[in-house]
Amino acid sequence: MPVLLRRFIHLVVVLFCVTLFVALLTSMLPGDPVNSIAGFAPEEQKEQIREQLGLDDPIPVQYGRWLSDFVTGDLGSYWTVTGDRPVVDRVKDALPVSIQLMVYAQVLALVVAIPLGVATAYRAGSRFDRGSNFTAFGLLALPNFALALILAYYVGVQLGWLPVTGYVAPSEDFVEHLRRMAMPAIALAVGQIAVYMRLLRSDMIATLQEDFITMAKSKGVSPRRVLWRHALRPSSLTLLTVAGLNVGTLIGSAVVIEVIFSLPGLGSLLYESITSRQYIAFQSLVAIIAVGYVMLNFLVDVLYAVLDPRIRHARA
Amino acid sequence: MEGPFVASTAMRGRWIRGAAAAVALALVVTACGGGGDDGGDSGSADADAGEVTPGGKVVYGLEAETADGWCLPEAQLAISGIQVARTIYDTLTRPNADGEYEPWLASAVEPNEDFTQWTITVRDGVTFHDGTPLDATVVKNNLDAYRGAYPGRSPQLFIFTFSNIASVDVVDPMTVMVTTKVPWTAFDAYLYGSGRVGMMAQAQLDDPVNCADNLIGTGPFVFDEWVPNQRFVATKNPDYWATDAEGRQLPYLDEIEYRPIVEVAQRVNALDSGDINAMHTSDPLTISDLQAQDESGEISLTESIDFGEVTYLMLNSSKPPFDNIKARQALAFAFNFDDYNAIRGKGILTRATGPFAPGNVGNLDETDLPGFDLEEAQRLVEEYEQETGQPLSFSYTTTQAESTVADAQFWQQAAEDAGMEVEIITVDQSTQIDAALAGDFEAIAWRNHPGGDPDEQYNWWQTGSPVNFGRFDDPDISRLLDEGRSNPDDDARVGIYEDLNRRFGEEVYNIWNYYTIWSVATAPDVHGVLGEGPTSADPFPGLAVGIPPAYLWVEQ
Repeated sequence: MPVLLRRFIHLVVVLFCVTLFVALLTSMLPGDPVNSIAGFAPEEQKEQIREQLGLDDPIPVQYGRWLSDFVTGDLGSYWTVTGDRPVVDRVKDALPVSIQLMVYAQVLALVVAIPLGVATAYRAGSRFDRGSNFTAFGLLALPNFALALILAYYVGVQLGWLPVTGYVAPSEDFVEHLRRMAMPAIALAVGQIAVYMRLLRSDMIATLQEDFITMAKSKGVSPRRVLWRHALRPSSLTLLTVAGLNVGTLIGSAVVIEVIFSLPGLGSLLYESITSRQYIAFQSLVAIIAVGYVMLNFLVDVLYAVLDPRIRHARA
Repeated sequence: MEGPFVASTAMRGRWIRGAAAAVALALVVTACGGGGDDGGDSGSADADAGEVTPGGKVVYGLEAETADGWCLPEAQLAISGIQVARTIYDTLTRPNADGEYEPWLASAVEPNEDFTQWTITVRDGVTFHDGTPLDATVVKNNLDAYRGAYPGRSPQLFIFTFSNIASVDVVDPMTVMVTTKVPWTAFDAYLYGSGRVGMMAQAQLDDPVNCADNLIGTGPFVFDEWVPNQRFVATKNPDYWATDAEGRQLPYLDEIEYRPIVEVAQRVNALDSGDINAMHTSDPLTISDLQAQDESGEISLTESIDFGEVTYLMLNSSKPPFDNIKARQALAFAFNFDDYNAIRGKGILTRATGPFAPGNVGNLDETDLPGFDLEEAQRLVEEYEQETGQPLSFSYTTTQAESTVADAQFWQQAAEDAGMEVEIITVDQSTQIDAALAGDFEAIAWRNHPGGDPDEQYNWWQTGSPVNFGRFDDPDISRLLDEGRSNPDDDARVGIYEDLNRRFGEEVYNIWNYYTIWSVATAPDVHGVLGEGPTSADPFPGLAVGIPPAYLWVEQ
């Protein structure tokens, strides 16, 4: 079966499982979502809303209705007494913010972690290596919401270097955009840096023991070239896998970070959907994230082949 | 009473009657709350401010976004939403420094002799932001929309709030007559409705799709842009009808921007870093820190408990254990407010003796609400257990915020010291409101009853009302509420509501904790937080339903 078809089936199965699970979980939540929409409305009005939204239907029927809408691109609506608002309108605004944040965080994490991983592997056991490891453990132990508040206080308030809240679109003012995304991206990236650095270091140490590295060294290849051209590529597979899988962690963390820094991204939207019991919106947002996540990991699989010729040849 | 922008007044000396917005404020299920010393500080920050310099911009940090928008009759607005509403819309009446209601967007609001009819004279020459004129028809349509008698609009709590209205009629192009079912002496307070009973333009009222985000009022600022979770921007209304007490054109600012910053520490960081230049909070621990900053001159702080809300523990009187007065009394005796204040409030909280904050009719320094007495609490627990054969155990429902959980743990410890068993149930805010609506709780952390005329609390406490969450059935309270609603004598009303307050103390339907402190912190160059009264420079001192943004100004 072609890889793309296999991946597509994988995507459909994951999407089905995740959204079904979300539908079941939300149905088990205590309370009545109509009370969030119109808590103080007369009972007849509540009943009317319930009927209009199909909340009295069995869960499979509700889920089927949502799924058939979703696959045709209808993400549903935010229910309000005033009128329904299409989720897609909100997603259009929020999605770019979250993607920007995650890309910045991921790039920052990799840009810092890769040189550190390579350097600590090369100098394994040295004071620099021990210091870097010690720092990495420290960063791993620091929750990102705490780091966010610490950064905001010291970098934003005490030093006055960066604004502590709000979002500016890159099209509006790119420099200001970067200034406002810097602290949220750092808060998200720091934990990842530690993980990536440790992973790469371990793999690099193993790779540096390989025969082909010894061969390269014996042929007089410079240490820099050995590290960056010969050892890094085969050592990056685990890093790449984890970087792909970590997108899930980033999304989870982004919910908190976006709320702290008042960024109007998907995290804030998810938070709003949960707190206001907008189940349809919540389900659609989770589905969008699931699709993005699976597709990203598909991309990671493709990159394996680029990084490692053995995989490419095996597939061929 | 004549003033620069009020032709006449229909005032009977009465106290602020903030209103149905209490509805929404009830949604502000006690998250952290505040209390504290009397605000008092109100005007001090502006005492040396100097001459007003019009222009400039204020960026105001709000504690929450108003996701459902501002279709006012239907919107569920807490303080953040009300603050934005007051930016775009005007109300027909407004409270003065004494909490008495005076006409604002109306030029007169007059009752007949027995208070069964109120004549509202609409201010002449006022236009909405879309250029349409304010007249009696649009006022009638707004009032009908609030009370659920206007096609296409579906209000919720306002149906209860305005259920005493029998009809709203246009008398002439600028006069509206409201007829009530029973005499309603506090009706002018309801026209303010805690600042959220604004008048919308006909186009917004009739907008079936975009009523919530197509904001058209007569207020000091014109809606410009709303990006949910990011910013709400409004620009100066150049044709605003009002001037200040010295005849200067309002508003002073060119622009105001609201930013929802949910995390209070970040809101303070944003203020300190200059990202925003104004913010509000009711978190006692934050206010305590802000007080220190105010003293050092880094910021200006205005705080108040006047006409405010009360933070309390609401007990469900319809089922065990709190259907038994001994259980309610035992818990009240077990609660050591001084310890609570020291631990949870850094000593800045003021004990609430009843539901009426300072300034309100019915406020009392002392009621029969039991104070801390551990031995008495233990004795009552024993009596309860002997009488019922059951241990005195109950669940305490609260939200998941760290501060509310810490509060719950304090109450748990206090109750367990007296021999009770307490299970803490943490839920999200929606579930907490569900629990209150369904009566599915035993004790629940709550905050409500912002300042105004006590009649505004009618629906919260009337027997059988769907929003009498504590489900107490007390003929005396119902009688007092009915008497207070219709009695035209101010002194008699004071007595009625003081009796009602005492009745709450005796029966311990709720355990009042503290008067919530609301505070507005600004950069030192921002002034005019409290604004002015409708007919004089003296401002209304309450902050529980936001501030009048027309009077904010920045040193230029």
